[in-house]
Amino acid sequence: MNSNWLKKNTFHHSEFKDINRLVEEKKRKKIKISLCLPTLNEEKTIAKEIIIMNSELMSRYQLLDEIVVIDSGSTDRTMEIASTYGADVYKANDILPKLEKFKGKGENLWKALYITKGDIIVYLDADIKNIHHRFVYALVGPLLLFDNIKYSKAYYDRPITFATGKKKTRPTGGGRVTELVIRPLFSLFFPELTQILQPLSGEYAGYRELFEKIPFPIGYGIETSIILDTYEKWGLDVIAQVDLERRVHRNQDTKSLGKMAFVILKTFCKRLEKLGMAELKSEFFNEMIQYKLGNDGYQPDIYKDKGFERPPIIEIPEYRKKFKVT
Amino acid sequence: MEKYLDELPSVVEAIKSIKEIIIANIVFIGQIPAPTFKEKRRTDLFMERLAEFQVDECTTDAYRNPIGIIRGTSPSKPPVFVVAHLDTVFEKNVDHNYTVRKKRIKGVGILDNSLSIGVLASLPEIFRKLDLRFESDIVLAGTIQSLGRGNLRGIRHLLKTWNTPIRGAICMEGVELGRLNYYSEGMIRCEVECDISPTPGPLQKFKSNAILILNEVINQIMELRLPQRPRSRVIIGKISGGFKHGTIAGKSKLGFEIQSNSDKMVKSIYNDINDIIEDISHQNEIELKLKTISNLSAASLKYNHPLVKSAGAIIERLGLKPICEPSESELSILLAHKIPAVTLGITHGENIHLENATMEIEPMYKGIAQIVGAIMAIDKGVCDE
Repeated sequence: MNSNWLKKNTFHHSEFKDINRLVEEKKRKKIKISLCLPTLNEEKTIAKEIIIMNSELMSRYQLLDEIVVIDSGSTDRTMEIASTYGADVYKANDILPKLEKFKGKGENLWKALYITKGDIIVYLDADIKNIHHRFVYALVGPLLLFDNIKYSKAYYDRPITFATGKKKTRPTGGGRVTELVIRPLFSLFFPELTQILQPLSGEYAGYRELFEKIPFPIGYGIETSIILDTYEKWGLDVIAQVDLERRVHRNQDTKSLGKMAFVILKTFCKRLEKLGMAELKSEFFNEMIQYKLGNDGYQPDIYKDKGFERPPIIEIPEYRKKFKVT
Repeated sequence: MEKYLDELPSVVEAIKSIKEIIIANIVFIGQIPAPTFKEKRRTDLFMERLAEFQVDECTTDAYRNPIGIIRGTSPSKPPVFVVAHLDTVFEKNVDHNYTVRKKRIKGVGILDNSLSIGVLASLPEIFRKLDLRFESDIVLAGTIQSLGRGNLRGIRHLLKTWNTPIRGAICMEGVELGRLNYYSEGMIRCEVECDISPTPGPLQKFKSNAILILNEVINQIMELRLPQRPRSRVIIGKISGGFKHGTIAGKSKLGFEIQSNSDKMVKSIYNDINDIIEDISHQNEIELKLKTISNLSAASLKYNHPLVKSAGAIIERLGLKPICEPSESELSILLAHKIPAVTLGITHGENIHLENATMEIEPMYKGIAQIVGAIMAIDKGVCDE
């Protein structure tokens, strides 16, 4: 096991706070950087993210070249608000419309590869309450300053807000799926990857040349698959992780986390099979079955996930044409 | 000045063109809790933002009020102060995350006074955008320990230790756009504490009730004959006490302010209330303490002072009617130091001291244009006569 990785490839956001240096390096490398925010009903937090990134990393420093929102079909005012504050807003279904349509975060991230023009793409969840521009510059920093690094991922302390009585925050919490699902799986099959402290964090950045060559699960499995596929193709040394210190997010109930865990397990097992590390005797079932207590007793609450994955986007003719891939 | 008034609509548009920077500053600063006496983190961030906007000098005074100085072109002219208090009434365990919508921003403390601090931090960039240079140094001061028991200590210390003359000052408050405060009343802020210690034995049920004692205090204060001239009033602002429904209250606390435009009258009413409290304390054989936690002297500019007239003209040109009321804030201390000063509001909003305080975004640009205009007026010499 390469246990040096944790020491060598782990950074703190403060190491990249000299934004001028990052802008210089970006100019020297003649590259563009895009920020992509996948959304689904995020009207409470989307404006703040766009405003802060626009103010700090587009107006004051020219680190970002564009902010793109890819929406899964919000029924609130997410798209209108995002547009008001200057982001380029797209409905996921309107991108590559000839392809079969899916709904999910991974789908939005995959389609963002077609829409954005950046050589580096930064993906941020749109529900970050304590958003700060370090969420972008600290992820971009290792990519610009270290030639070997092609993919950087956030980790942080995860206080959660809870809404009982007076709105208060408590200092720790969250990360349950990481500790109960992903970490045990990594420990069993890829011990080196346990050094990635928060493999499910929704904030990461990477070079287009990396993202375009790997498949994207359309839903929750996207974070797991990016790590596993990157590790398999290029090894651990191309990955960095950056301490962003603190991220306040919405707390999810255990049932929602159960659905997330279901999809992640499925993605993981598929990778195991592909790598020849495990053999499945039969196909997976596509339903996560939970139960809720109603007036007529316990009722099944079924969540369906077919585990569909988009192929590496470089295989899509429209993409090859747009980005002149020969 | 007339030229600036004519250009106000384009100034408002220019300010609006950097809305992301202004809103980002409001959000960054507002999301850092700053209860009175615990403002350090917000102070650090405010200084950091000023430094990032290349303010010529960023420092703190001996009392740790953060100050940014934009150097003027004429070293002989005294500085112009722009002041906003840093502290809020909310403790740090309250969720301070702000929500930005298309037309509004919601979050604790935004109207009192995070919005003003965000605007204060944005002024260097706003001046740059408007291509403004001033003769005077512009001193951007975020003052600490302003509210409640803070008793305006920050501004008091800042002015006490500022050795050179000050040309004039603008105080900023989040709401309401259109306010024009140029005088402050004399004020004493007090607390009455009633503490009835439990006595052992069967007489518990017959002991005095601390809430009823304060009720009697309030009744007797209300019976005081307060003069119409000089205008005077007692505001009963806070009350707390008791333990549970079926238990006689052993402790209670009352907070009130005596306000008048005559310092002598404030003192006289204070003495009357002190007599009431001593009398009730004696009659009921209980401990009743009157504590003064803050006081201010009455001070005023004249309504026809050029600074008041200029600020009023700007407000009117923005299509608003100036609202002139007394203000007990940083303004009081500035006026007490004979520094011409006014307090202006930046926008409209609601729920000022609730957790869901909300500001309107669009009127803010007018509010900022008004602040810039008032600074320009002082720099052109309206306070020099």
